[in-house]
Amino acid sequence: MLQLKGRINSSNVMKALWVLEEIGLDYEREDVGGAFGKNHEAPYLNLNPNGRIPTIIDGDLVLWESNSVVRYLAATHSAGTLWPTDPAARARCDMWMDWQLTELVHGMVPVFHGLIRKTPEERDMDAIAAARDDWAGKWRILDDHLSRNTYIGGDTFTMADIPIGPLAYRWYELPIEREDFTHLHRWYDLICTRPAFQKHCMTGLS
Amino acid sequence: MLKILGRATSSNVQKVVWLCDELNIPYDRTDIGGPFGGNDKPEYLSLNPNGIVPTIDDDGFILWESNAIIRYLAEKHGKGTDFWPEDLQARASESRWMDWALSILAARHVPVFVGLIRTAEADRDYDKIAAARDLWSKANKVLETWLADHEFLSGDTFGLGDIPASPFTYRWFNIDIEREDFPHMKRWHEAICARPAFKKHIIDVGLS
Repeated sequence: MLQLKGRINSSNVMKALWVLEEIGLDYEREDVGGAFGKNHEAPYLNLNPNGRIPTIIDGDLVLWESNSVVRYLAATHSAGTLWPTDPAARARCDMWMDWQLTELVHGMVPVFHGLIRKTPEERDMDAIAAARDDWAGKWRILDDHLSRNTYIGGDTFTMADIPIGPLAYRWYELPIEREDFTHLHRWYDLICTRPAFQKHCMTGLS
Repeated sequence: MLKILGRATSSNVQKVVWLCDELNIPYDRTDIGGPFGGNDKPEYLSLNPNGIVPTIDDDGFILWESNAIIRYLAEKHGKGTDFWPEDLQARASESRWMDWALSILAARHVPVFVGLIRTAEADRDYDKIAAARDLWSKANKVLETWLADHEFLSGDTFGLGDIPASPFTYRWFNIDIEREDFPHMKRWHEAICARPAFKKHIIDVGLS
């Protein structure tokens, strides 16, 4: 059976949990990282030398980097649905998945960690405000894209929606100022109707 | 013909032109970004709303994000070669190093590269650069660990998984900084440097 290692309140682990639920694959999960530790100990570092989560083990394959995990599970279990078989359609999905790593995540990290994982005394409110503005600028780009596309990959739900979904939940749940991004909100409402997203990603902020 | 928009000194553009030469894909490149500007103009932003390079126009198909571009080109032109293995586990393993170059390596090298190469000496924050160098070195230790057991990041042979990390590795070995002794990483980098397309697009362009 596929093994997944990582604590459930990590947005990167959520991506793996969500895709596993969408494709209906059985798996065993072990809590690693954060309060559970183990991610900087030899047995885990032998699997993933970064000491980060998640890591999956599927037969002979030990795989880390959450977007690659999503891509792999979609390719092996959902070709033609989550994983478009048309190369151009799939390239558009890959593009937005990479964009989540290169652009969208950077604004989120200082805001989420600052407001949720730090004590009020530790918070740098100026840094949080600046990161929020940066993050909003990225959502504006996605809002424009979603003015012409039902889902991030196009007309249907695909793997491209998965890396961005857990970050959208944080955007809408954190106690921050939010611009009125109507197309983003319309897409987010659609994502929120998916039972797998509700189960693994709409789980509070911690 | 494939059009590539982006200046030759961008590591993200370098990934694309390097792969094009590896696969003998003809292309026409236009200088955009950095000293050439143009990336904040409406006509470029209508193609790529992020205003960064590269963007490709492949007979009307517009794509940005350099790793997504090289995946697309490898599948279109490199099926059946080491650049696009049929085995999905092999492809996933390569994909991991491509993502890792974005999520870890790019962010960690930027303060060092920009601080020492694109910032005037009087404006440099050497404490910040030193702290960033230490973090960058930790990322390289991850490469070293993998390369102790594997010939390439892609596995036994050179492939797509080696491309995104390599321009950063070139910078690591050529910026004037302290460097730990990573013999496996060095052996791998020398194998990359022996590739004519890498020499042309990364080594001969140098650091700027």
